[in-house]
Amino acid sequence: MVRRGRRSKRNGSRRHTAVTRRRFLSRAVGIAAAGAVAGASPLFIASRSRAAAANALRFGQSEADLGTADPHYAAGTQDRALVDMVFNGLLRFKPGDGSGFEPDLAVDFPKPAVIAGKQVWTFRLRKGVLWHRSEKVPPYELTSEDVVYSLQKSADKARSAYSGLYTGMTFQALDAYSVGIVLDSPMSANLFYPLVTNYAGGFIMAKRAVEAYGLEGVKTRPVGTGPFTLGRYDPKERVELLPHVQYMRGHPKLDGVDYRYMSDAFSRELGLRGGQLDGISGQQDEAWVDKIQALSNLRLDIFGVGESTVIYMNQTVPQLRRKEVRQAIAYALDRDEFLALIGPKVGRKIYAPLSPFTTGALAEKEVIAKGLDYKINREKAKSLLAEAGVPGGFALDLVTSELKIYKDHYESMQAQLAKVGIQIRLRVVDHPSYHALIRKDTNPLVIYVAFRPTAEIYLRSFYHAASTVVTGAHPDTNFAHYSGVDDLIDKARVETSASAQIELWKEAQVKILQDMVAYPISYANQVYARSTAVDYGHPLKSVLALYPGIDETTRVRRG
Amino acid sequence: MTRYVLGRLLFALPIFLGVVTIVFAIVRVLPGDPAQAALGDYASGDAVAALRQRLGLDRPIALQYVGYVVGLARGDLGRSLINGGLVRDEVAHNLPYTLQLTVVALAIGTLVGVPAGVCGALTFNRLPDSIGRVASLFGLSIPAYYLGILLILLFAIQLRAFPAVGAGELASPADVLRHLILPAATLGLVMAATVTRFTRSAVLNTLGQDFVRTARAKGLPRHLVTVRHTLRASLIPIVSLAGLWSIGLIGDSVTTEIVFARPGLGSMMVGAMLQRDYTSLQSVMVVYTGFVIVINLATDIAYGFVDPRIRY
Repeated sequence: MVRRGRRSKRNGSRRHTAVTRRRFLSRAVGIAAAGAVAGASPLFIASRSRAAAANALRFGQSEADLGTADPHYAAGTQDRALVDMVFNGLLRFKPGDGSGFEPDLAVDFPKPAVIAGKQVWTFRLRKGVLWHRSEKVPPYELTSEDVVYSLQKSADKARSAYSGLYTGMTFQALDAYSVGIVLDSPMSANLFYPLVTNYAGGFIMAKRAVEAYGLEGVKTRPVGTGPFTLGRYDPKERVELLPHVQYMRGHPKLDGVDYRYMSDAFSRELGLRGGQLDGISGQQDEAWVDKIQALSNLRLDIFGVGESTVIYMNQTVPQLRRKEVRQAIAYALDRDEFLALIGPKVGRKIYAPLSPFTTGALAEKEVIAKGLDYKINREKAKSLLAEAGVPGGFALDLVTSELKIYKDHYESMQAQLAKVGIQIRLRVVDHPSYHALIRKDTNPLVIYVAFRPTAEIYLRSFYHAASTVVTGAHPDTNFAHYSGVDDLIDKARVETSASAQIELWKEAQVKILQDMVAYPISYANQVYARSTAVDYGHPLKSVLALYPGIDETTRVRRG
Repeated sequence: MTRYVLGRLLFALPIFLGVVTIVFAIVRVLPGDPAQAALGDYASGDAVAALRQRLGLDRPIALQYVGYVVGLARGDLGRSLINGGLVRDEVAHNLPYTLQLTVVALAIGTLVGVPAGVCGALTFNRLPDSIGRVASLFGLSIPAYYLGILLILLFAIQLRAFPAVGAGELASPADVLRHLILPAATLGLVMAATVTRFTRSAVLNTLGQDFVRTARAKGLPRHLVTVRHTLRASLIPIVSLAGLWSIGLIGDSVTTEIVFARPGLGSMMVGAMLQRDYTSLQSVMVVYTGFVIVINLATDIAYGFVDPRIRY
C-alpha cells in the first residue's frame, strides 16, 4: 500500500489509512525506538533480581559454559570448581592444601577392619546436616541413605564417569548416621581416602534430589550440602550461587558467588582490571604473570596442584619399537627448553612419571642417582639411533592441539628432535579433536598435560595394559601401549602398608624410565588473579579442583 | 504488496531449509566429539562412549537430521547436548541482548554517520570534510573487536567511566545502559564510518542534480534544500546500506559480545562451538538465517516507501 502524500490528501477516505513516505519514515524511527526498548525490556523485568549483593564474589572462569553440575561427571575445571562450592564429601582435602585430609560429612576418620575376610571402612556421619532447598525438594537432613545412594551412583557406569574407581566396593547403611564401605580387595588409606573426599565420585549427592530431577536435571540443578546453593543458571553466561545459611560450618561470609563463564582470557583480565570482577583464572604464561604482578591493586596466586606435561612413546609403532630409539629421543630433548615455554615462575622441571607432590613419586635426586634423568646429550642420542639401525633418523606424522601449551611443546619437540635427524610433520587440530585423535592412536608421540589425584590412578591410567588406547580392556590414556609394570600397579593397589605401597610405585616408575616409554618434562601450576579486596580464607598451596577454593571463609571487602 | 511479501516469504522457505541442511552438515563435519568435550580431558573411553549413546550421537546421521528438521517445523529447537536445557529457552534468554546491542549500534551508526556524511558533502574539500574523511578511514580500517578493546582500555580501565565487561544487573536499567554504551559504540562507530562515506557520496551526487539547483533558485532556505530535497533523494543507497549493516552488525556482535563478555547469540554460538554442542550451534545459526531473510525483506519493502519510483 504505497500512496504518495499528495494523492492521499485528495482522497479523504483514504487519508488515514494511506502510508506516505514521511509517515513511513517517522514510523520507521518509532519502530526502531520501540524495537530498542522491546529488545531491552526483558532485561528490565526484574522478576528475579540479579542485583549483585555488595558482598558477593564475582569470579571469571575460563570456559564458555557449564559442562555439568553432576559431580560424578564433572571433569572440566569450570565444573570441578562449581561442584566444589556446592557439595561435600565424607572427608575433604584441607582447604588450600590438597596434601592432607580432614573429616567433612563424617565426624572423624574411619578405621579399617577386616570382617569375614573383607576390608570394611565405617563412617559416622555428622548430625543435622541439611541439604539445600530446591524447587522440587524441600531441605531435609542428610542420612546414611543419601550417602549409600550417592556412592552407589558413583560406582555405576551408567550414572558416573568415575565408576571404575569404585569397582569391588559395596555400600551399606548401618544406621541413620553410619555407613559401611566393604572392599573386596583391601586398600591403604592413601588410596581409599581420595575416593571418599570432596572430589569426583566422592561428592555426596542428595538421593531425593537426584530422583526428583533425574540424571539430566541434576546437570543444571545441583543440590548439595556445601556452603553455596544454586541461585540461578544462565546458560553460557553465569551461575549465581547463594549462601547456604544453614551450612554445617556456619553462615558463609560471602553473600554469594557470581560465577561467570568467560572464555576469552583478555576479557577476563579487563573485567578484573576494570573492577567488574574480583577474581579470574589466569594464564600459565610468565609474561602474563609479570604483567599482573606489576599492577598494585591486584594479587596473583600461583599454586598447585600442577598439571604434568609428559611425552608418551607408542612402543608398537615400528620406528619406536626399539628401546634405544626411545632413549635417543629422550637424550635429544632438553627440559630447560621446554620450561622456557611457560617460565620458571609458573612451572618446574620433572624427572619422574609421577609429579613431585604425588605421594609415591620418585624424587628428582633418586632419578638422577639411578642415571634415569636422560640429561640432554645429542651425541649420545645420535649414537643410540645408529645402534638401533637408523643413524639418519626417521620421520613421524603428529597432530597437536591448537591450545598454546600443547602447540608450543610440540613445536619445541619438533625443533629439538630435528637436531638428531628425527623429522616431525605437525598438523594442528582443535582441542577436542586432539583428544579424540590421540585416543585413536594417531600420534606415535603423545604430549599430554594432566593431573591425577593419586599414584594408583595416574599409573593405572597411563601405564597399565588395561588402559591402553584402542586395544585395552578399558581404553583410557595408556598411549605407550605399555604393560611392563602391570604386576607392580596391581600389587600396589592391594598393599595395605603405606610404605610398601610407595616402594612398589617407585619400582614401577624406575621400570618406566628404564624402558623409556614416557619422558617427563615439567609441571605447570595453576595461575589465578584477584583484587586485593578478596581473601580466600586459606593460604593457597595446592587445590585439587584446580581453582583457589571458595568456601564459607572466603570474603570480599570492596572499598 | 501483500502478494509480494507472501511470495518472498514462500521463496525464503527453500532457502531456509537449504541453510538448515548445510548448517546441520557443517556442524557434523567439524572435528571433535561433544561427548569428549562435555566430559573433559580426563574422561575414560568407556565414559565417553556411554555419554555418546545417551546423547544419541551414535544414531545414523540421517536419523539425527530428520529428527532435527521435524522438531524445527514444530518450533522445537531441541535440547543442549551439554547441559540438557531447552535450546529455545537459551535463545529466548540471549536474543534480547543481541537485539539490544544491534539496534542501539544501528542507531548510533545512523545518527553519527548520516549527519557526518551530509556535513562532509556540504563542506566538500574543506576542513570538516577532511576531518570526516580521515575519521571514516580510521573507522573503516579498524576491526570492531580491536576498537572495543581500545575503548575498554580508555573508558573502563583508565577513566573508569564505563564497565569493561558484562551486561549489567537486571534490576537496574541505568546499569544495563551503562554496560551497553561501550559495546554499542564499538559497533556503531565502525558502522558510522561506512555510512559517512556512502552518505557523503550520495549527497554530493544529488547536490549536482537539476532539481536541487531549481530548489535553490526558488530561494528555499539551505536547510530545506538539504533535508527535504537532497537528503531524501539520497536515501536509497543509505537504506540499502542500513539493511546490509544490520546483517553485518549481527555478525560483528559475535566478536563484540566475546570482547565485552556480554551474553547474547554470539556468545551462545561461540560457547556452543567450543563445546561441540551441535543443537545449540545449529539453532543459533538458524536464528541468524532467519534474521538475514527478514532484514533483506524489510529492506526491499523499505525501498518502496523511500523511493516513489519503486512499486510492488
